[in-house]
Amino acid sequence: MTRRRLALLGAVLLVAACVERLSAPANCPDFCPSGQITIVDTLLTSSIHRDSSHRGYVLAYQSALMLAAHLPGATDTLDGRPIFRINGYGSRIRLGTADTSTGAILGADSARLQLYVVRRDSATRNLRLQLYRLPITIDTGTTFGALVAPFTDSLVRTVNIDTLLAQPGRKDSVTGDSVVVDSVNHRLLLSLKLDTAAARYVPTDSGTVSYGVRIAADTLASIAFGKVSLGPVLQWYLRVDSLGAPVARKPGVLAAALATFVFAPSAAPIDSTLAVGGVPSAHSLLRVAFPKAIRDSSQIIRATLYLVPAVPARGAPPDSFVIEARNVLADFGAKSPIDLLSGDSAMIHPGATDTVKIEVTNLLQQWAADSTRPTVLLLRPEREAQTLGEIRFYPSAAAAFSPTLQITFVRRFPFGAP
Amino acid sequence: MTHRTGWTIAVLLVGPALTGGAMAAAQDSQFGIRGLGTPGRWESVRSRSAGGAFAPFDPMSPLMEASLADLGQLTATAAGYTSNRDVLVGGTTTPLRSTRFPLMGVAGPVRPRLVVAAGFTTYLDRSWDVVLRDSFMLRGALERYTDAIASDGSVADLRFAAASRLSRRIAVGAGLHLLAGSTRMTAERRFDDSTFSRVQQSAEVRYDGFGLSGSVLIGVAPGLSIAGWARSDNRLRAKVADTISAVTDLPRMAGGGILFAPSPNARVGASVAWRSWSRAGAGAFDTWNWSAGMEFGPRRMPIRLGARGGQMPFGPGTQAPTEVAGSLGTGRAFAQGRALIDVGLERLERRGGGLTERVWTVLVGLTVRP
Repeated sequence: MTRRRLALLGAVLLVAACVERLSAPANCPDFCPSGQITIVDTLLTSSIHRDSSHRGYVLAYQSALMLAAHLPGATDTLDGRPIFRINGYGSRIRLGTADTSTGAILGADSARLQLYVVRRDSATRNLRLQLYRLPITIDTGTTFGALVAPFTDSLVRTVNIDTLLAQPGRKDSVTGDSVVVDSVNHRLLLSLKLDTAAARYVPTDSGTVSYGVRIAADTLASIAFGKVSLGPVLQWYLRVDSLGAPVARKPGVLAAALATFVFAPSAAPIDSTLAVGGVPSAHSLLRVAFPKAIRDSSQIIRATLYLVPAVPARGAPPDSFVIEARNVLADFGAKSPIDLLSGDSAMIHPGATDTVKIEVTNLLQQWAADSTRPTVLLLRPEREAQTLGEIRFYPSAAAAFSPTLQITFVRRFPFGAP
Repeated sequence: MTHRTGWTIAVLLVGPALTGGAMAAAQDSQFGIRGLGTPGRWESVRSRSAGGAFAPFDPMSPLMEASLADLGQLTATAAGYTSNRDVLVGGTTTPLRSTRFPLMGVAGPVRPRLVVAAGFTTYLDRSWDVVLRDSFMLRGALERYTDAIASDGSVADLRFAAASRLSRRIAVGAGLHLLAGSTRMTAERRFDDSTFSRVQQSAEVRYDGFGLSGSVLIGVAPGLSIAGWARSDNRLRAKVADTISAVTDLPRMAGGGILFAPSPNARVGASVAWRSWSRAGAGAFDTWNWSAGMEFGPRRMPIRLGARGGQMPFGPGTQAPTEVAGSLGTGRAFAQGRALIDVGLERLERRGGGLTERVWTVLVGLTVRP
């Protein structure tokens, strides 16, 4: 037993003795190694070249949102209008779930349209929503100009969202409209009751209806509606012929077959500036002559890309947007495949002309780690075509305002020096 | 146990060191950070417990070769040290701790009057880790950072030695020294501002060098011996990834000792050594070191006392740092003298350039005579 205890004590002492503790505060220069970590900060003012912009990556109908805005400006009004089409059931419908016989649809008593407002500025006051009936022929190619007439003469409903929110239970007992506030996801679910005049079920059109939305507010009238799972849905309340007698039927809800938006003024054509954002979305490519001295023998600890706006950033004032810089996997110009693993970003505020700084440290570290990577930075909006915002930067050709990279790097430590 | 089996065990014990598989390190010091490192002490636990005074006469201390001549049988030895070091500078005390295995060797007669030995000991310890808090202007702002620069490793002295007793009074020896080792070095900087990435660089630095030594042991009278030794090392070459990063001249050195044994149960010794470390460049100094010690009591379990002092080769300013130490220890023979365990305790103080180091070191040695 004593031997076992002694062995245990010996083992504990052995483990304790092997604990190393060598870390001591430095007292430089007398008791420090002669080599020091050397930091260099350099500004690459002429290393970015062959920059270019390209538009058309994400179109309005491909956007995840439908944008609505009405923002009068000094020269024009930024006007965004969601449009959507909901296909109907056809001219006949089954009379019951257990009955395969069908009846002709005579018309609609009413309908209920649900819309998700997924983005809005809480500072917006007196936000009004106007619902217009549109031609059922709208499609992904429909333009703002083609819908001027229906957006003028086909108003079917007007709803004041602020008034509706102020109603007891957020329900208007007169119109039948209601709103549900999702404070977790910051959404509003609008439920609009459409009467027979507003919701006309035309069997010869297979019951297809199209609507457009305009908004207005005292200030900051810019919101976004959801699509797909958060898109518009329509609940019809139909009258169906059953052996000569009209009966009421409530079939399943219908989702939008087409959901997009039109807007004016349309995006300006690409010019010599570096455009990022807008709808359809624009990307810019910056090709960098990355110094070999930095790539081969140093460690990059910070890299910042400076971009000078050529014009104030466009867009709805409440809708600041994020642009991001990414690496490309290969330089194929406008069709360069994007490296989605890492990116750096900056917030853009519409109307601002301040120099934009994007920290691109991790992107340049990848260049230093892999010399086969193209040294190309791609600028794009973080959420493509989800805002009307667009910014344009001076290109490399504008010498005084050209894009600039500031790189802070560390030289190789003099290991082995006495 | 046969002679062949004994050699096999001994080679297994020392073999890893000779192939570079195990690198030794001795007691490190802040004084070695700025220079080449902290020189090792070429002493067995038995010698070091007596201040190092017996090292010229101790066949298991790799200081001199001539003392091997009287080794009658195959002998292997190893040592381990654990140091607790307090570093005092600028009113701040930092406790440090390290454990090292700085000595391993095997020796034995191969022919009448010829004894050979092989083994390793620490030539320079290069294990340290310093942390620095500072700031500087970067991009127009004061950036605060923490640097941590560390080195872990050492340069070992792989010694192949031979000794012969020429007459009843005179023994001579010579040694070939291969200096080899490596350090894993890291340099790290963390900025308080997280927009700057952490700086982290590392490299393995490999060292090599070469040296020759010779020594003589003279029996002046019954119980009284004197010894002298000299050694010359050429240069220490540092390589990083096959690129030579530094070449530093190494010192020439010489020393001597005296041993008086008035009875089988009492031995008194003293030694002195000079080393021309100033050849290593700026911030290096020639050093003198002395030691004195005694051993008394029965050979099976003697008591050892000693003191030593001298200079350190590297330090700031114009004067070499100094060191002084006192030690005591004992040993115990087992298995009819075939195994010996030596233990010792050393208290050391180093001073120089406003820095003081105080070290407690526990020494444990094992010697086997198969």
